[in-house]
Amino acid sequence: MTDAEQQTTLNLWLSQYKGLIFKIVRSYAFTTMDRDDLFQEITVQVWKSIPTFRNECAITTWLYRISLNTAIRFAQKERKRSESRTDIDSVSHVLQDNPVPHDGKLSWLYNEIAKLNEIDRSITLLMLEGFSYKEMATIVGITETNIGVKINRIKKQLTEKSKNYDHGI
Amino acid sequence: MEFDDMKKVWDTQNNEPLYVLNESALHNRVQVKKRKAGHITNISELLAIVANIGGGGFILATTLSKESSNVYLYLLAAWMFVTAIYCVVGRIRRIRSNTKFDRSILGDIDQAIATASYQVRLSGLLRWNIVPISVLIFLGLWSGEKSIWIAIGLVVFFAVTWYATGWEHNYYKSRRNEVQQLRNLLVNSDTGGTITT
Repeated sequence: MTDAEQQTTLNLWLSQYKGLIFKIVRSYAFTTMDRDDLFQEITVQVWKSIPTFRNECAITTWLYRISLNTAIRFAQKERKRSESRTDIDSVSHVLQDNPVPHDGKLSWLYNEIAKLNEIDRSITLLMLEGFSYKEMATIVGITETNIGVKINRIKKQLTEKSKNYDHGI
Repeated sequence: MEFDDMKKVWDTQNNEPLYVLNESALHNRVQVKKRKAGHITNISELLAIVANIGGGGFILATTLSKESSNVYLYLLAAWMFVTAIYCVVGRIRRIRSNTKFDRSILGDIDQAIATASYQVRLSGLLRWNIVPISVLIFLGLWSGEKSIWIAIGLVVFFAVTWYATGWEHNYYKSRRNEVQQLRNLLVNSDTGGTITT
């Protein structure tokens, strides 16, 4: 595969599936700079992965696997890294907030997802995207039973917390 | 709110993306990242290989050019070449083993653990390798009747190197443990919950 073909595929995937990556970025990075960094890191990893993509799974499944894995490792590093950023204002940001207002419930949901550990966050995103247990097991690499146990626990936890939101707490 | 309601809330963003993408900024910064993408393991391996071949070659060349009969310096050169060969073989094995992991998050984590374990092994080996190298150097100096100040300088140099490589080794160990913890989170269904970011 030539560099030009690889770049064309990347542009195509980004134009079609950037929303998917945005969701992961928002769930794993919490400042403008970190979101930019994570989005770029995911883009680089996706770009690198293109020559090994063999159409054995859906593009979305492939992108989720690459993006979640990158995000998990990023979040783990970020938790340890001190806040020592420079020249934040001197660069143009890759991601700019869309001025269209979103539902307050969506912000609440992102907040709750952010409180989960890195692995549970991945499973929650896959669950919200409507992946089947089998697909999730393939992406994550653990058994469907294990996925089921985790999902039950996460659902219970989120539903419980949503009661506070429903009561305006 | 039931989970199905949360899913409906989640799906609202499919019509209106969260962010607007600045494509030219992305393109520029991805290019920069791609250029900087040299992996730390690659750098450690290549440094060890180049340093050992360079050092061994230099010692061998200077010893041969002086027609010296100092056997310790020949042994030292041979030892450094053997170390370089070990690093080359380890590197080839590591690169080949990259294909054996499946394409899942667990597969990627297992690959990261394998790479981190390799780094721990390599840094440990290179650290302990200081011992035979320094012994051979001192024996070479002793049999060549060199100045005491050269010996003192070398003691300081090896002490600093020992300390620095110990720090590097511990750093790799802590990284391996972090990835191992991530794996535990993934495979144990009963270890969930929240974290503080």
